[in-house]
Amino acid sequence: MNRSSRSTHGLASMADRVRAGLAIGAVAALAAVPTLAAAQAFPSQPISLVVPWPAGGGSDIAMRLLADGATRRMGAPVVVVNKPGAGGTVGLKEVAQSKPDGYTLAMLATGALFAQYNNPAANAVSDFELIAFFGDDPSALTASAKTGFKTVADFIAAAKASPGRLRNGNDQPGGTSHVTVSLLEKALGVRVIKVPYAGYAPTVQALLAGELDTVTVGVPDVLQHQQAGTVQMLGVAATQRHFLAPDVPTFREQGIDFVAGTWRVIIGPRGIPADRLATLESRLLETMNDPEFKTKARTAGFIVSPLGRADTARRLAAEDAAMYPVFLEAGLVKTRQK
Amino acid sequence: MDFLFGNILHGLAVAMTPANLALCFAGCVLGTLIGVLPGLGPTATVAMLMPVTFWLDPTGALIMMAGVFYGSQYGGSTTAILVNLPGESSSVVTCLDGYAMARQGRAGAALAIAALASLFAGTVTTFLIAWAGPAIASVALQFQSPDYVAVMVLGLVAAVVLAHGSVVKAVAMILLGIFLGLIGTDVSTSEQRFTFGLDTLFDGIGFVPLSMGLFGLAEIMFNLEGGAEGNRTRVAINRLWPTRRDFREATPAAVRGTLLGCFLGVLPGGGSTIPSFAAYSLEKKLARDPSRFGRGAVQGVAAPEAANNAGAQACFIPMLSLGIPPNAVMALMVGAMMVHGIQPGPQIIQKQPDLFWGLVASMWIGNLMLVVLNLPLIWIWVKLLEVPYRFLFPAVIVLCGIGVYSLDNRLSDVVLMAFFGVFGYGLRKLECEPAPLLLGFILGPLLEENFRRSLMLTGGDASIFLTRPISLSFLVVSVILLAAVLLPAFRQRREQWTEEA
Repeated sequence: MNRSSRSTHGLASMADRVRAGLAIGAVAALAAVPTLAAAQAFPSQPISLVVPWPAGGGSDIAMRLLADGATRRMGAPVVVVNKPGAGGTVGLKEVAQSKPDGYTLAMLATGALFAQYNNPAANAVSDFELIAFFGDDPSALTASAKTGFKTVADFIAAAKASPGRLRNGNDQPGGTSHVTVSLLEKALGVRVIKVPYAGYAPTVQALLAGELDTVTVGVPDVLQHQQAGTVQMLGVAATQRHFLAPDVPTFREQGIDFVAGTWRVIIGPRGIPADRLATLESRLLETMNDPEFKTKARTAGFIVSPLGRADTARRLAAEDAAMYPVFLEAGLVKTRQK
Repeated sequence: MDFLFGNILHGLAVAMTPANLALCFAGCVLGTLIGVLPGLGPTATVAMLMPVTFWLDPTGALIMMAGVFYGSQYGGSTTAILVNLPGESSSVVTCLDGYAMARQGRAGAALAIAALASLFAGTVTTFLIAWAGPAIASVALQFQSPDYVAVMVLGLVAAVVLAHGSVVKAVAMILLGIFLGLIGTDVSTSEQRFTFGLDTLFDGIGFVPLSMGLFGLAEIMFNLEGGAEGNRTRVAINRLWPTRRDFREATPAAVRGTLLGCFLGVLPGGGSTIPSFAAYSLEKKLARDPSRFGRGAVQGVAAPEAANNAGAQACFIPMLSLGIPPNAVMALMVGAMMVHGIQPGPQIIQKQPDLFWGLVASMWIGNLMLVVLNLPLIWIWVKLLEVPYRFLFPAVIVLCGIGVYSLDNRLSDVVLMAFFGVFGYGLRKLECEPAPLLLGFILGPLLEENFRRSLMLTGGDASIFLTRPISLSFLVVSVILLAAVLLPAFRQRREQWTEEA
């Protein structure tokens, strides 16, 4: 699997292929003369980017795009390795236990905040070096066209008229979509039935089938149906409108301070030397700020909003502070109480 | 109709460009290869192809990915027939009669029937997608949670029919399968069940390690019981091509398998596994002499092979026309489209006619390529059976290990497979069949999830299962089928008692 994805990366351009060849040469040299290799510039061998989710999902696509761009900037191939399992816990654990030499990185997403409280086997977010923030995938509140809701105000009115009767589709307790609707309930002062589905595709399917009134999933998941008129996005839970749905107002524009969704961060195991961390941070930021990369990512539906190490840490601390009470209230905090 | 042919011609024009033909061929070859390698499934392969799609045009990329997907359905049956190893989960039932045919020296006939049934199903389904794709997708949209419950109940009842031999043992196997399916994190509550704190079990037991252990490894152990060449009967291979009688028996089975595959493949969560099980059960029920099943019945190869290929293609319908991927491979294809800024969904046919019709037409071309590719290979595959078992079985075990590991890059899956190999060997000694267990394993968790969700949506009112027409009709069919299975068994027993008395 690795070999194949490496060689396909090499298809990018002739220059890349040559560079990958050089890197492989470097690896061979490295095996021969280990002491010499240690003194060489970082990175001198391929970097693995562990994606703790299956191939083909949003995170996988985002990271494959990033790996493709970063390969050019790093001067060494960046290879995506899928290590799915237990909501991202399995892959992250492996990275936490890997050698902190900067050659093993991973993607960490919103769910890791939850896993550290719920799953005794999961690593704490503090077990990792936060290297760079990739971007947000904001959630949206979307209603079936059958409900007739046009704005968040319509939703609030209906939810208040019959408390605990509207049916919202989301993922399992603790998942991003479930957390989003739980935070939304708090922000709006309403109660709904939170119906769990295994994944966003079945959730949207159930909304279309008339089994649900609303869903709390990402904008790309419902975009086509919005355009077809079968569903209505009521509000986007972000600070700005989503570029894919520029005519849908944010919650803030409708007078409600509510921001939620999935975000992705590039991390490594604790203990990576400071100079290597700095190299990784700057090269990743360069990659993500490259206009060509931004265009590619945008075409694929991703908002890229890169942040450096310090800002990423601040952002995650704020997210943690907002979400922890939700987990606590739902009885999902089983380990590592705050 | 003019509309249809105009569109198909348009699609053929797109699919017949040299670049797209080459990509389709590459996809089919790759698909066949990974289908033959046990455990290496289309999901992993399509995932590896993902970065290629960053540089290809989206139509070409999808044509290739689709080729890998349906190509692997062809290849998957090869190992099932030759060495009792389901290369894909959808070829599990092909093992039952395909392997039995191979043991009778009729491996060539079984492989040919499998390939031709697949071609037939592929052709029919391609036209169905072109003709009625969006309309079919809208029917699938009528399905709500209670309806899925009824479908799963029907599936479990059908699982009893699957078994040959003791009904009690079949029921026990189904229940065991359901139990194994419960292991992991519960979707409704995020609670862990029976995981013993092991990371490996958080997401439940994987289907591939389970099925490869129960079928492949257990079979190898069983064969090795009597020394290296073991219980493996060596039979002279007399002819490669099926007889006229084979064709006469296989044709109606392939037609029924195709229809069932089209229907079940469209449903979310569908794909090719459930249709293949369902088609096998149906054939067994319809057969004049059900006892031939499991002993090399041609229908037992033709029907599931047609159904799994039809299912594999039918699941493009919800993906393309609703933007809802029914399984992991379709999710990957949605991902490939998104990279190019294409959102699959209701508007894709108008917005991307080249992509839609080109892909549909390429599926038909790809199916033809696969048969041309596979029929001459049959001779080589059959030759493989003449390799001494002491060389063959270590190779098979290594391939299984690689295949299982490559799924999620996890060593623990290999350990699980080994465990289920021993477990499966025990089951064989007890004359319990693994096929109903696997069906229970697949359907049980879906049944539970949808059942709990149904009750959640109605506030605990179970009458919903009887008031929704779709749900009610599936339940009625289940009751009739159950009666058909149980009544003869009771009658026989009563006759025995009366004779003894």
